[in-house]
Amino acid sequence: MRAFGNPRLVFTMAMSVLAFLYAPILVMMIFSFNDSTYTGLPFNGFTLHWYRELFSDQQMLFSIWNSIYVAIGVVIISATFGVPAAIALDRFEFPGKGVFRRIVMLPIVLPGIITGVALLGFYLTIHFRLSLHTIMLGQGTGLMCVTITEVFARLQQLGRSQTEAAVNLGANEWEVFRHVTLPGIRSALFGAMLIVFSVSFDEIAVTFLLTGRENTLPMTLWSLLRREVTPEVNAVASLVVVMSIILIVCGMYASRRQETSAGES
Amino acid sequence: MTSSAYVAGQGQAGARSARRLERRRLLFWLLPPVAWFTVFMLIPYGMLLYTSLGHVDDMRFIPGFSFDNFIRVFTVDPYLGVIIKSARIGVMTAILSAIVAYPLAFYIAFHVRSARAKFLLYLLVIVPWWASYLVKAYAWKTILGSGGILNATLQGIGLTDGPVRLFLYNEFSVVLTLTYIFTPFAVLSIYAQLERIPTSLIEAARNLGADGWTIFRRIILPISVPGMVAGAIITFSLAFGDFVAPVLVGGPDSVMISNVVINLLGVAFDWPMAAAIGVVIIALGLLLISASGWLEEKTQTRF
Repeated sequence: MRAFGNPRLVFTMAMSVLAFLYAPILVMMIFSFNDSTYTGLPFNGFTLHWYRELFSDQQMLFSIWNSIYVAIGVVIISATFGVPAAIALDRFEFPGKGVFRRIVMLPIVLPGIITGVALLGFYLTIHFRLSLHTIMLGQGTGLMCVTITEVFARLQQLGRSQTEAAVNLGANEWEVFRHVTLPGIRSALFGAMLIVFSVSFDEIAVTFLLTGRENTLPMTLWSLLRREVTPEVNAVASLVVVMSIILIVCGMYASRRQETSAGES
Repeated sequence: MTSSAYVAGQGQAGARSARRLERRRLLFWLLPPVAWFTVFMLIPYGMLLYTSLGHVDDMRFIPGFSFDNFIRVFTVDPYLGVIIKSARIGVMTAILSAIVAYPLAFYIAFHVRSARAKFLLYLLVIVPWWASYLVKAYAWKTILGSGGILNATLQGIGLTDGPVRLFLYNEFSVVLTLTYIFTPFAVLSIYAQLERIPTSLIEAARNLGADGWTIFRRIILPISVPGMVAGAIITFSLAFGDFVAPVLVGGPDSVMISNVVINLLGVAFDWPMAAAIGVVIIALGLLLISASGWLEEKTQTRF
């Protein structure tokens, strides 16, 4: 038997942790329906006013769209350049591999502000106008390590025998990738894309420095939270949570189905 | 083993052409990411270093070659102090979120039997991670504030007479908020490690007469260290560089290093100083990556 320890104690402790994780989110959701211009007690009554406000707030809706646009770009960048990096790290020995690995991992431990400052200086020097695309490039650089680590871990699990067999049978690099590597890493890549999307959607430090005239959702929320706070913020956040639950559940089920079907074939 | 080994029997010419082919395959994969990181990381970091060696005079950047800014980072208030304070908040956040996360990770890894329930709990851990970061920080403000839910409850049950102001706008609220935000991440990394522990290990210990506490202390806890370390390094880094929590729930004295950098850029317009802090933190980050690789190697258990 795997379970040990007092089951009731373990269960109680685990559930308290979950309660800790959900309490603020529930608070936020409850107050998004509160009929009061102030987020806090007392609860005056139920209203959908803040959701109506949200759906008529052009700037807010625009920034949600901007965030989605940036996140999709970041996912594409980090997959396009991250997967080759993971393959190179997994399959080949080359001089400077250790340095390459460290540089690739550096954005994980660096504060986003530092990445942002370095890129902002770079953009200003080459006179690159700040826009959603500058944010995309910055976040793409920062989040590439997520794709690299996830895909690299999967490649290590898969081992090299199939790849080597394909190479010896005369497959070119693209054929090896298309028919051997990609089917093997698909679910890991998909998981990494989900993580990258979610982090990018919520990213604030790099964005804070690299944003031009158009704002992403976190930037709009940030300016709202620093000025006058209305429960509209709660409404947006609740909506984002509900949307992400749908997205995660769909994504998880899709990748699980893929994994089971891959296992059967 | 590389594919060149397979054709070594065909003689030297074959081996050489195989090696050339192998190199072409390597470059095919390596060049795009190397180009990307050169343009968007190495060149910007190089420029950061260049900037940090100059100074600003009358709002204009004067290039130079002086280490004054670096000396200032380590000698002039508040820079070094703020870096140390950010590191302290980072360490506290990393430790606290590992402690808070452990019971839940433990429960999912050892006590939940059906795969479906495990999957559901896994989702329940991920969802708070996806909720907007800013709003989560803000939610703590509404919970801890003087008109907040915690104070209303305390007064309601008669524990306190007036609102307690100790909960908000200090280092405690910053650490609490950051711990809250990074706990889901800690749960996932500890869980990944615990899930790898084979059931036979626990059964063997039980057959040898170990009670639950001994199994936990002597087997499970040592094995879970790498997962905790891997998670803690990332939580530490994220908390160290945070600039949202200090503004939303922190007090006047809880500025962290990212806030200082932003102020240097926006208010003081001292790019070289901001760049010098950036260079110092990049160096610390490289150290941390090397240290973490070494630590994980040291603590990892192979089954």
